[in-house]
Amino acid sequence: MQDKTIVYEELVPGYEFPSASYELSIPLVSKYLKAVDSSEDGLVPPLAIAAYAMSAMAGGLSLPPGSIHASQELEFFKLVPTGATIECQARVAQKLTRGKLRMLVLELNVFDQNKEKVQSGKTTIILPTEEANA
Amino acid sequence: MLKEIHQGETLCPVVKHITQETINLYADASGDFNPIHVDESFAAQTPFGGTIAHGMLILAYVSEMMTLAFGRSWLSGGKLSVKFKAPARPEDTLTVSGKINSIEDKDGVSFADCSFECSNQKNETIIVGKAAVKLPAGEGEKRGSK
Repeated sequence: MQDKTIVYEELVPGYEFPSASYELSIPLVSKYLKAVDSSEDGLVPPLAIAAYAMSAMAGGLSLPPGSIHASQELEFFKLVPTGATIECQARVAQKLTRGKLRMLVLELNVFDQNKEKVQSGKTTIILPTEEANA
Repeated sequence: MLKEIHQGETLCPVVKHITQETINLYADASGDFNPIHVDESFAAQTPFGGTIAHGMLILAYVSEMMTLAFGRSWLSGGKLSVKFKAPARPEDTLTVSGKINSIEDKDGVSFADCSFECSNQKNETIIVGKAAVKLPAGEGEKRGSK
């Protein structure tokens, strides 16, 4: 995990977050399955992998409280068994301003321990207006 | 899983009741402790007027519906695109529904193109989206490409 965070104002398109690795251990996946009210089948749900990838990215990013998810794209390429280790990579695709709205588009890629891509995605986040933070 | 994959086939809906406890569990599991989700006093001061569920929690329910319909084909060959239209709140009962719009052949590979949405107990749309699933070889013809 990175030990330094970057704020929205410092981000530029193309910025790459430090990559992060996760072991998708049985306790970690079990906690996720309980949270989403789902059952164990030996495979890691792809939305769990997406959540961990976003969490890895968020560890290096300081967004204002109240930032929300506007849209999400995801594509899954491989089954991932519980116990696998994944590497998450993320970069800033776009920074957009529409009126008072500030948006951030992030691209995510996740690889397994054999360096094969298991998932990719694009996340759009809306940041709260300056007034909302005042 | 679906026995037949046909254009127009509806997917078995997933219904979930969410509470603040559900949201807190998801925050703990995902590491996303944004106060808009878990801090009721902070969230009360935002335009939402209270806490809201994580978008990725709702997407997990969409993925559950797709997994029930398509099994491992979804887990290793699925694709989705979704827009978050309105927040899901504690004590909402959410229904995720979807259908197969078409079975398409692209370069010899069959894809089931689906649409889905999630609505709450007031019939308000929470999310809308599209999904595609790569079907195993031969499945598109065998299972109802029209």
